[in-house]
Amino acid sequence: MLWIIALVAILIVSLIIVIKAADIFVDKIVEIGGIMGISEIILGVTASAIGTSLPEFGSAVMAALFNSPDLGVGVVIGSNIWNIAGILGISAIFAGTIRSSPKGLTRDGAFTLLTAFILLGFMYFLGVVDIYASIIFVIVYSIYLWILIRDQKKEAENDVKKEEIKVKPTEQISYHPPEEKKKIGFGMIAWSLVGLVGLIVGCRLLVYSGTELATIANIPQMIMGLFTLAIGTSIPELVVTFNSARKGLHDLSIGTVLGSNTFNIMIGLGIPAIFMSVPIEHLSYTFDAPVMIFVTVLVLLLIKRGMKLTRVDGFILALTYITYAVLRIYVLG
Amino acid sequence: MVYKKILVTSTGEYLDQIAKETMELIADWDTDVIGVYVVETSTPFLTPKKVKEMMVTELTQRGKQVLDAMEEKFRAPNIHFSRILKEGDPADEIVKIAEKNDVDLLVMGTGKSIVDKHLLGSVSEKVVHSAPCTILLIRTVSE
Repeated sequence: MLWIIALVAILIVSLIIVIKAADIFVDKIVEIGGIMGISEIILGVTASAIGTSLPEFGSAVMAALFNSPDLGVGVVIGSNIWNIAGILGISAIFAGTIRSSPKGLTRDGAFTLLTAFILLGFMYFLGVVDIYASIIFVIVYSIYLWILIRDQKKEAENDVKKEEIKVKPTEQISYHPPEEKKKIGFGMIAWSLVGLVGLIVGCRLLVYSGTELATIANIPQMIMGLFTLAIGTSIPELVVTFNSARKGLHDLSIGTVLGSNTFNIMIGLGIPAIFMSVPIEHLSYTFDAPVMIFVTVLVLLLIKRGMKLTRVDGFILALTYITYAVLRIYVLG
Repeated sequence: MVYKKILVTSTGEYLDQIAKETMELIADWDTDVIGVYVVETSTPFLTPKKVKEMMVTELTQRGKQVLDAMEEKFRAPNIHFSRILKEGDPADEIVKIAEKNDVDLLVMGTGKSIVDKHLLGSVSEKVVHSAPCTILLIRTVSE
């Protein structure tokens, strides 16, 4: 009994370590990248695209390296279902409305759906995610990232033009003095290494506690990945999506979820598949992956009606997730 | 009652309605109107730092747009409009600005429905309890 409590404690602590370490790592890498002259737009888009998804990625890599590929697949697919049905559902229920722009929805929605179908294709026809799948995943994600950066550049250019046309004085605005040109210091490198080591150690502990708990409770690793680890590693998506919906930053809210889902499949599964072929369980491609596609289509259709998610839509999504969880855990096992 | 200095705050929603009712109140009297937008900077634990920065940048951008729109709405010969954009907790900052500028009246919308108030909390309710002046709460709940 004491061991189970200790494992649960390790699971919770490792989750916090993973999330904070990923944050520190991304923050410092962006800082170093900025000093090295990489464009702010590229850094900003990349940081926001991978920032919330590093915990899923790290867990999937660790699971693959330590012979628990089911757990890794579970984390990725489970996170994607939870992100859409759970997180967007909860956020819409609490925030009341989450709006979307047609452009963001078309671009991010199309890629999320495309990546889900590509994954299902590999699962169904090959029964494995191997190095060839990995190459395609990374190429598709690179294209997605390139489109994001291109769109962001266009947006930035438009903002500059608007500013030039209309310059308004703003009294008593909180003033941020211009920063002096920085150099890459020891502290920066040290902190980025602390973040990386924290991420690796945290993910290893997370996977270890997850597999041990699954063995003790006699539940499949896949279930552990699909629910416990998937929901745990998606905490950053939950706080960002809910908080941005509450503050009316609607594009950030829906964009976080859709962008994260694309990253989870293309990179979260693509990179581990470089190290080893990830075998796919029968239920994954007959039930979990189709559910992931179903919830993706469902959310896109719900948003498409009025370019927003309402509280009622939130309840529909949340109920869909509960139904999936009950069926997956108690009926299909 | 003539109000010489009025603080008007809005997140951008219902701005038309808030401005219209304030203008009716001002009528032809010479009045100082201070437009206020507070960028809410609080985020929950475990929010990635870069995302937090992105939120502040976006909200600051929106704040400037809201204040631009407000300035347009209060463009009149008898009104002197000034603007304040602040970062922090909206209720606390609004009260502080009202105190510091010695305003006579604070105008804001009620904002949310009953359900939203319970789920998300309400800035106007917090301001009501600590404002240093008279408050005009404009009913802005959408049907």
